[in-house]
Amino acid sequence: MDSSAQAVIQVKNLYKIFRVGEEKVRALNGVDLTIRRGEFCAIVGTSGSGKSTMLNMLAGLEKPTKGEVIVAGEHLERMSENELVRFRREKVGFIFQSFNLLQTMNAIENVALPLTFRGVDKKTREARAEKMLKLVGLSTHTKHRPTEMSGGQQQRVGVARALVLDPEIIFADEPTGNLDSRTSEEVLGLMRRVVQENNQTMVMVTHDRHLAGFADRIFHISDGKIVKIEEQQEYREDEK
Amino acid sequence: MKFSDLLRMSASNLLRRKLRTVLTVLGVLIGTASIVVMISLGLGLQKSSLEQIEQYGGLTTIDVYNWTDYYSSSETDTDALIDDEVVEAIGAIPHVEVASPILSVSVMAKFGGYEAWLTVCGMSQEALQSMDIEVSEGSLPTDSDTLEFFYGNQVITDFYKAKTYEYYWETGELPDVDLMNDSIFFIFDTDAYYNSQYDSSVSAPKKYLVPASGLMAGGVDEYKDNCYYVLADIDALRAQLKKVFKNSVIPGQPSTKSGKAYKDIYYEEVYVRVDDMNNVSEVMEEIQNMGYTASSNAEWMEQTQQQMSMIQLVLGGIGAVSLFVAAIGIANTMMMSIYERTKEIGIIKVLGCDLKDIRTMFLMEAGFIGFFGGLIGLVLSEIISLIINQVAGGASGGYYSGISYIPIWLVGVALVFAVLVGMLAGLFPALRAMRLSPLAAIRNE
Repeated sequence: MDSSAQAVIQVKNLYKIFRVGEEKVRALNGVDLTIRRGEFCAIVGTSGSGKSTMLNMLAGLEKPTKGEVIVAGEHLERMSENELVRFRREKVGFIFQSFNLLQTMNAIENVALPLTFRGVDKKTREARAEKMLKLVGLSTHTKHRPTEMSGGQQQRVGVARALVLDPEIIFADEPTGNLDSRTSEEVLGLMRRVVQENNQTMVMVTHDRHLAGFADRIFHISDGKIVKIEEQQEYREDEK
Repeated sequence: MKFSDLLRMSASNLLRRKLRTVLTVLGVLIGTASIVVMISLGLGLQKSSLEQIEQYGGLTTIDVYNWTDYYSSSETDTDALIDDEVVEAIGAIPHVEVASPILSVSVMAKFGGYEAWLTVCGMSQEALQSMDIEVSEGSLPTDSDTLEFFYGNQVITDFYKAKTYEYYWETGELPDVDLMNDSIFFIFDTDAYYNSQYDSSVSAPKKYLVPASGLMAGGVDEYKDNCYYVLADIDALRAQLKKVFKNSVIPGQPSTKSGKAYKDIYYEEVYVRVDDMNNVSEVMEEIQNMGYTASSNAEWMEQTQQQMSMIQLVLGGIGAVSLFVAAIGIANTMMMSIYERTKEIGIIKVLGCDLKDIRTMFLMEAGFIGFFGGLIGLVLSEIISLIINQVAGGASGGYYSGISYIPIWLVGVALVFAVLVGMLAGLFPALRAMRLSPLAAIRNE
């Protein structure tokens, strides 16, 4: 099997250098990686290791200093901000650590939001949002506002929102960072199941080695460099 | 994004911070109202002064004279005189609606113990109809062969008591003459009459009875165009004069070197009416090029209009200051709202909301504030305008048609202007929102 044909994310020689006063901070220092379609990957590292920067780069939220980022066949480093927004709207779902639901909207409106940006009419998008909420097990909470829901429920809404567009790739930034461990496993299990069913690619950033264990592959990142790539079985065995 | 969704989101954002929205709208409201009321005052002033000019002979009429050597009659070159041909030529100038000769003669009126020297102006039917004369009794002179007189509302004051020479202005008593129904005799050959008064060998000229066709509306003290003239149909007047004077020279008409009368009748003046007041000066120039003197209210009007636009500019400027302050208020509100919503804007950017849509959303919010401020401001202006007119109208005894005047176009312009000001004020905040980094959203608190 030709693995490169299946590659949905390719990163080549990626650098991101921040300037802090006189000093140069190398957040990413020459990263190469390839993620295949349908994979569930985790990027693991301590804080300050550059893992969040990596994710931002993959989602087109930050511009690389040097190097190539090819996601779903598109060169992100060459895109204007307008094009990046369009790229995210069409190809990417995003799950945040702090959920980032709009407080003024209820669950169904929050889930339907990406569809709104696509110009889908109200009836269609709410029907799809409702289906999504049902999928994440929140069919009884469709009219609730974020403030009326628990953290776990809010993150399920977040997951539903990320998946409603049926995106090719889902990025998750510490998706369980604000949840207790039992809820974390629940949410993560849900994400994993849905993504696998739809043959979607998922990239998750976490510092929790246990949660990273849900992934097919784990990239260990440290000081802006990938130091180790683990396949799932290997990692699981390590733990035992 | 669909327009309806943009609209919904903007509206819900405004409703989220009701108090602030209301306060900002209030600012625009006051701004719009002050501009509209100020301009309405200027327009009201302009309207009433134009009405005044209208009373003094209209905005579209031109009087054409021929002053050249008219009175040194012996040397008169008949080419320069105004005859029917000239009138026709003037009538052929573009934009001229009516061109009528004015044939004026002095006559003496006698009734009971009263006498009066009156000026009779003969004009064409067309001209008489076009002058917007208000008739209180009877009608304008009709197109008949017999001469009929139409009396201006101040003509009655020309009658004096034949014995004492007392006029109305001295006695304060209106002469006991019913112009409409009394049989008044007129003497056309006034020279002969004059001579007969002092020379008994000259026999008094023939007196003619001329029926009245109607009276002009208005009291004795009310000044109007033509209020002191007696109007008549020009053809009937001409026929009458021919009948009275036969082949001798009609007073006021030029004569040949040998003192004989010309075959044609010449006119002192031509009444010209133009289709629009903006064409008056153009037509005037044309007439002057023909070698005649033309005068109209155009210059007076131009001056008035210049003055009025100055006044409007000043008043509008005063109003504009408060709208400017309101615009700053809008900008401030929008900036605040953007700071508050930084995270939210970031989120929708990450989720793929088009930059253009973000900008539109904020511009619409600002536009809404402008629109509602403008709308309510206009309602307020109408109310203020009504009150001003009530109060001022009562004070001036209804002389002005209204000090404040809000035409429909001002309503439209004010509303569009308020929305534009709102959007302009919202432009900078909107661009700023558009450029916010999406990273702000995913930064963890």
